[in-house]
Amino acid sequence: MDHFPLSWGRPRNDAVDAYGTFPIQQRPNHGQDTFSSGIQHTQQPIVTGTSVLAIKFKDGIMMAADNLASYGSLARFRDIKRLHAVGEHTVIGAGGDMGDFQYIQSIMDELMIDEFAAQDGHALGPAEVHNYLSELMYARRSKMDPLWNAILVGGFKDGQRFLAFVDLLGTTYSASTLATGYGAHIAQPLLRRAVEGREDTLDAAEAEKIIEQSMQVLFYRDARSLDKYQIATITAEGVKISESRKLETSWSFAEGIRGYGAQTQ
Amino acid sequence: MQHVAVPHAQPQQRQFNPYSENGGTILAIAGANFSVIAGDTRQSEGYSIQTRYAPKVFRLTDKAVLATNGFAADGNMFVKKVRQRLEWYRHAHAKDMPLRAIARLIQTMLYARRFFPYYVYNILGGIEEDGSGAVYSFDPVGSYEREACRAAGAASSLVQPFLDNQIYFKNQTPAPGTTHPAHLPLSHVLSLVIDSFTSATERHIEVGDGLEIYVVLAKGSALQGLDAIQGLSELTTTDDGERMFVIRRNLKRD
Amino acid sequence: MSIMDQNGGSVIAMVGKDCVAIASDLRLGNQALGVSSNFQKIFPVTDRIYLGLPGLATDVTTLKERFRFRVNMYTIKEEREIEPETFAHLVSSTLYEHRFGPYFCEPVMAGLSKTPSGGYKPFIAATDLIGCLNFAKDFVVAGTASEKLFGVAEGLWEPDLEPEDLFETISQTLMNAVDRDAYSGWGCVVHVLTKDKVITRTLKGRMD
Repeated sequence: MDHFPLSWGRPRNDAVDAYGTFPIQQRPNHGQDTFSSGIQHTQQPIVTGTSVLAIKFKDGIMMAADNLASYGSLARFRDIKRLHAVGEHTVIGAGGDMGDFQYIQSIMDELMIDEFAAQDGHALGPAEVHNYLSELMYARRSKMDPLWNAILVGGFKDGQRFLAFVDLLGTTYSASTLATGYGAHIAQPLLRRAVEGREDTLDAAEAEKIIEQSMQVLFYRDARSLDKYQIATITAEGVKISESRKLETSWSFAEGIRGYGAQTQ
Repeated sequence: MQHVAVPHAQPQQRQFNPYSENGGTILAIAGANFSVIAGDTRQSEGYSIQTRYAPKVFRLTDKAVLATNGFAADGNMFVKKVRQRLEWYRHAHAKDMPLRAIARLIQTMLYARRFFPYYVYNILGGIEEDGSGAVYSFDPVGSYEREACRAAGAASSLVQPFLDNQIYFKNQTPAPGTTHPAHLPLSHVLSLVIDSFTSATERHIEVGDGLEIYVVLAKGSALQGLDAIQGLSELTTTDDGERMFVIRRNLKRD
Repeated sequence: MSIMDQNGGSVIAMVGKDCVAIASDLRLGNQALGVSSNFQKIFPVTDRIYLGLPGLATDVTTLKERFRFRVNMYTIKEEREIEPETFAHLVSSTLYEHRFGPYFCEPVMAGLSKTPSGGYKPFIAATDLIGCLNFAKDFVVAGTASEKLFGVAEGLWEPDLEPEDLFETISQTLMNAVDRDAYSGWGCVVHVLTKDKVITRTLKGRMD
C-alpha cells in the first residue's frame, strides 16, 4: 500500500507532470504496483521442524518427532510439540514451518469439534483426516500460497492400521515405513530394513526400539535435530503421545576420529 | 537538480514451484475386442523412492481405465475430478459414459487448465460402444488422439520405439503374399507389456517395484487364455457387460 | 541445446556368437536442418576393429584422423596389429588427455580379439566424452537416440545370435530407435564382423 496521498491517482508516467507540481514528487516503490506488497503469494519456511518418522507394527502405528523448532541454524524453541492428536484414532506429525503446522492443528481441532457437534454417530478416522489434509494442502499449493509442511498421518480405526504422507505440493503416498525431511534420506533405509515384511509380527517394544535407534542416528547426523523427542502410539486402545524423553547418546567414539576429539597431532 | 526515477532494489524472492515429477511409466495397447492398460507402481522424487506401491492406473467405469503419469498430486486430483464428473453423468443419464465421451471430457478438463496445467500425461483405455478395444492418449493440455498403442512417462522413450516395432511392425516387411495383423492376440500383447516393463526397469532408475496390468474384455468375448495368467484377479461388477481384470506382478526393486 | 546434439547421429554395437556387429545412422545435421544423408560415423581401425564416433561432426573427423595416426604409430613400434582391448584403452586415454576441454564424441568400439588358442572372441566397448570405459557383455549405445536404443535393444537382444540373426537384431534396433529421434536417421549402415569376413550393408531408412 502506498501511504502517500500525493501519489494517489497521479499519472503512471512520471515524465508527464499534468498538475504542474514541479519538482515531480518521487513515489516510493517506483515501478511497482501500488498494492503488490499487500498480497503475499509465496513464502519460505521460517521456524522449522526437522524429520518425523513413523512405522507400522503388529498393533498399530508408531510415530516420532523431536521437540525442536529451529530459526535457520538457531535452535530457537526446544519444547515444541510436533505430534498432534486429531480425534480418538489419529495422530499427525509435521516437519517444515511450525507456524503453518500450528495453523493446521487449529483447523483440525475445529474440524473435530464440528464433526462432534453433528452427533451423527460417525467419527473421522485417519483415512478421512489424511484425505482432508491432502485436499487442503493441494488447494493451497494451487493458490500458490502453500502450507510449508511435510506431514505424516498415522492411525488405527475399525481394526485397520493407516499410515500416509502429504506435503506442501499435495503429494500423497502410503507405505509401511515413512519419514520426512532428512529422515527420508537417513532413517528411511534403516526403517525399511527393520520393518518391511515384519509389520504383522513386530510388537510395541520392538517397534519402539527401532524408532529410538533411528532417532539416535538422526540426532548424530542431522544438525537441526534435538535429543529430546516424543513417541506417539496409535492402537485399538486409542492415541498415546508420550512425555518428552531424552536420547541416550555416546560421543566417546569421537576421540578416535581425527578432527573430532582433542588430538595432540 | 535532475530528478531521475530510480527503481528500488527489491529483495530476491525464491519462487515457489507448484510442480514435481514422480517418475514411473504407463503403457496401453488396444486389441480387436480388448484393451490392456498398464503402469509400474514405484513413486519417486529425485533419487528417493517414496513408496513401492502407488497405483497409477485407475478403473473409471466397467469399461474404462485411466492411467496417469507425471506429477502424482495433479494425477490423483485429476482422476478424482474425472470420477466425480462420471458420477454426475450416471445420475443424469442412468448409464455409464461411453469411452469416446470420456476421452472428450478429459480433453475439456485438461484444456480448462491451459494456463496452470495438470502436469500429467494421461492414457485412457477401454471398450468402445461398438465393442472394439480402444486407447486414447493425451498431452498435459488436452491434445488427444485414438491409437492402437502408446507409452508415456519416464521411460516412454525406451518403450515407444519397441512398441512401434512389435505392435505396428515398423521396419518389418511381411513375407510375400501376406500382411501384418492389424490386432494382436491378448496373450501376445500381455507378453509385450511385461517385456516392455522389465526392459524399462533394467535401464531406467525411476521404473520398477511392481506392475499393474488392467485388462478390459469386450462384452461376450472369451477369456483368451487369461485364466492361466498368474496374479490375476477379476474386478467385473456386472455379469452381462464388459469384464475387467487386473494382473499384479513384481518388478525389480533396485 | 547441448553441443553433443548439434549434428545428431547414433551408434550401437552388439555381441553375437563368435561375431560382433556395429551400426550407425547416416545423418549429418545442423540442429533441426538435415545437411547430409551420407555422413560416415563408423571407421575401420584394423581388419577386426571398427570404431563408431557419434557426436560433434568436426570432432568425429578430427578423432578419426587422430586414432588413425596413433594406431599407425602403434603398429610401427610394436610391429603387430593392435588388439581391441588395447585400442579401447588408447581411445580412453586419448579422450582423457582432454579432460577439461573434451572432444564432444562418445566412441563405440566393436572387434574380435585373438585368444591364446588361436580363435577369436567378440569384444565391444564404449566410452563417454572424457574416456570412461564401459565394457558391456551384451550391447553398447551412444548418440542422440541412445535412450531409444537402450529401450529397443533391451527388448530385442538375446545371447549367442548367429551373424545373420545379429544383423537383423541390430538393424531393427537401430532403425526403430532412430525413427523416433529427430536428430538421427536418414539411412543406416551395419557392419557384422566374423572371424573370416566383414559383412557391410547399407539400409534404406525413412527420410523424414
